[in-house]
Parts: sequence; C-alpha cells; structure tokens
Amino acid sequence: MKKLFALALSALMTLTCFAGCGGSHAESDTAYIKEKGRLVIGITEYEPMDYKDENDEWTGFDAEFARLFCEKLGVEAEFLVLSDWDQKYFELETKNIDAIWNGMTLTEEARSNASCSDPYLVNSQVVVMKKDVIGQYPDAESVKDLKFACENGSAGQAALAELGITEAVALQDQAAALMEVAAGTAEACVIDITMAKAMTGEGTNYADLAIGTALSTEEYAVAFRKGSDLTEQLNNCIKELTEDGSLAALAEQYSLTLAQETPAADPA
Amino acid sequence: MLAQVTNELLSGFWVTIEIFLLTLVFSLPLGLVVCFGTMSRFAPLRCLSRGFVWVIRGTPLMLQLIVIFYGPGLLFGLPSGDRFWSVIIAFSINYACYFSEIYRGGIESIPQGQYEAGQVLGMTKQQIFFKVIFLQVVKRIIAPMSNEIITLVKDTSLARIIGVYELIYVGQSFIRKGLIYPLFCTGIFYLVFSGLLTLLLGRLEKKLGYFKG
Repeated sequence: MKKLFALALSALMTLTCFAGCGGSHAESDTAYIKEKGRLVIGITEYEPMDYKDENDEWTGFDAEFARLFCEKLGVEAEFLVLSDWDQKYFELETKNIDAIWNGMTLTEEARSNASCSDPYLVNSQVVVMKKDVIGQYPDAESVKDLKFACENGSAGQAALAELGITEAVALQDQAAALMEVAAGTAEACVIDITMAKAMTGEGTNYADLAIGTALSTEEYAVAFRKGSDLTEQLNNCIKELTEDGSLAALAEQYSLTLAQETPAADPA
Repeated sequence: MLAQVTNELLSGFWVTIEIFLLTLVFSLPLGLVVCFGTMSRFAPLRCLSRGFVWVIRGTPLMLQLIVIFYGPGLLFGLPSGDRFWSVIIAFSINYACYFSEIYRGGIESIPQGQYEAGQVLGMTKQQIFFKVIFLQVVKRIIAPMSNEIITLVKDTSLARIIGVYELIYVGQSFIRKGLIYPLFCTGIFYLVFSGLLTLLLGRLEKKLGYFKG
C-alpha cells in the first residue's frame, strides 16, 4: 500500500514539475516553512528524546530543543510520529515532514540522503574502572590487557571487539557490567556515557568508580531536505544556544552529553 | 549457518554438562555430611546444620550465585577469581542441602529394629550404617533423588547470570543476531539429556530392586 502510494505520489510530482516549473519551487526551504507557519518534525517515541508527558504533550531533549529552534524561526513545532523509521528520507523529500529530529545518528547514509546539521549530542562508549587506577589508563591502547565486562550484544561490546578484545565477559545488561567492576570481578567495563555519568562518581552508589577513555563515539544530528537552508539556520541556532548555556541546561536535565564536551574518542 | 549454530550450542551444552557432573560429584557426599549434621545428637551442631539448610533452601539459587561470586569483592575487596568455580560451589552447596533432606528421610525410614539387631550381633555403629542401612537407603531414595538430579540439569541455566556461557546463554545470544530458533533448540538438548538420565536412574533402581522396601 505504502509503495503504491509512493509510486502515485512520485508520478504526481513528476507531472507537476513538468506542468508548472518555476513558480513557488524556487523559494527557499526557510521561506516555505515560514509561509506555512509550522515545522513538521518527524520523530519516533523514545525517552529521553521525544516522549509524551503526563499532559500528553511531547517532551524530551529533542522535543524541547526543536521548540527552541522553532521559536527563533517564529513558527510552530508540529511533531509527527513516523510509522516507519526506514521511510524517513522519503517522508522528508515528499514534504510530509520538514525535519528528522529524533536522536538520529550521523552516518554516511544520513549525509547522502539529507542535509545534516552539525552534531549536537554524542553518545560514546566509555571505559569505567576503579577511580584509584584510572590514571594509568589514559587511552584505548593502554586498556587492551584489562579484564573487561560488557553487555552482551551492546555497542560497547562492538567497540571492544574493534579494539581486538574478545575475551570480555558479556552479561545481560550494562548494570551487571558495572557491578562486575565494583566487585572487582572485572577490572573495567564498557558502557555508554549517559549511563556512566548517571551511575558513577561522587554522590552515586558507585562513588569509587570513574569514567576513563572513550572507545567509540556516535554523534546525533538533525536532518533536513537536501539543499535546505534550514540546516544553516539550525547550525547558527546550535551555536547561539550553546553560548547562552540553554543547550547545556537541557542536556543536564536529561543527563545527556553535548557534542562539545565529549572526551576525545581514541581512533584505535 | 546451521553448522555454526550447532557448534556453538554444543560448546554451551558441554559447559552445562560440566556444571552438572561437577555439582553432583561434590554435592552427593556433601549432602551426607549435612545430613549427619541435621541428625546429630549434639544440639548446637544440629541447630547450626538445620539453620544452614533453612537458609539455603529458603533463598533462590540465583541469589546464592550472585552472593558467592560478587559478595567477596563487594564486601571485603577480595574478588572471587573464577566464574566457573563459583558456579560449582554455589550449586554444590545448594544441592547438598536438598540431598541432605532426602537422605534424612531415607535413613529415618529404616526400622529401628535393624539397628537393634546389629547391636545384638556386636556390630559397631559405623558397621551397622555402612553394611546394613546404607544400600537400603540408596534404594529408597532413588526416586526422589532422580527428581532433584533432573531439576539440576535445568538449573544449570542460572550460571549465565554471572557470565558463564552455558547452553541457554548461547541460545539467547543468537536472538541478538536475529536468529530465534537456536534458543528453542536448546530444549532438545535438555530433553535428550534428561531422557538419558531418566533411563539410567531407572536402571539403577531396578538393579537395587532386590531390597524389598
């Protein structure tokens, strides 16, 4: 059904293109949005990026960030839940949505299918170990001989494998990997930075654990239509919001890590 | 693909069998020790043994595994070295307690008259127990023991909690690669293994049939 619809739609688009070339087509994406008065944002529901609060309103880091951006543009933010994440670029090109703004990982695929903003958030896989020995392991190379724990099938496990560490104990979740380190049954574990920040260091239950080097990092960006000038607008907006600290406040609220404050990933 | 799945499942199954056999080797005699403790006429020892059995039977095996493996590191900063042996220790203690109660039931089911007869014939306590009572007890407890032993086959799957890669762990890992059927195939391994055990234990029971219970 979707395919049929897509076919019909593309046929229609080709037709309109032939029929009335020029006209409104020449105007910029920003002008198009402003004229429409709203930015339609394609999302999927997932915490902590986009989810419904108790009043059934969209909230989350990306939802609030998107509203800030729309405020600056002087348009309304409208959230549309994508029924199929794999169709996101198609939805963008057909103008069903104007942006993909949902913790999207910045990949080659994304760059070639859409116009991507600068990365605004990162999620890295970091090494966590006992605070008193962490100074001896400044980079990815130095941790190679440690006894590791990780979550089975996680990005952390993949990062370890890339480093050539295959003997890591793979457990059912990240919390179990953290407990291994606390109990000393593993010397270090690899978990994502969001969790590591929330669960280790001063004032947490794992006060004697600390975050070490990052093994791999993925960046989150926003995608607009190819050639859209909204990308430029958002990049400027990211700069502004970073400077006035409002992005940092948001990141703090949702325990996320901004792209600017990431520990340098060591390309091993 | 199928060959790889079978290979990995077999390696997991081998770990399962190792846990099973080693647990039996340690828990069968240990159970007898615990059993003597719970039947001792020396009250403090009896109370201690019964309290121990109560704790072990009264808490989940999964929790005991976690305590034995993570406990020393978390409490005293002395991490247990080996996952596999932690599993064997936890399983052996747990099963010894269950076995001890089965042994006790078996021993207490032997009529007092046999002990008296032994004493009249001038046998020592040890002689009476090992030469007269023991094999009769073995015959009587085979059915309930089979029950526990077959439960043990399946309980081995708890070892994955502390990262020992037994059969279920391997089966579950395939789900992350998008393969669901290996997990269900693990059932075949357990079924075949417990089937063989049932046959074996049935045979043993028949062999000991000359004792008329």
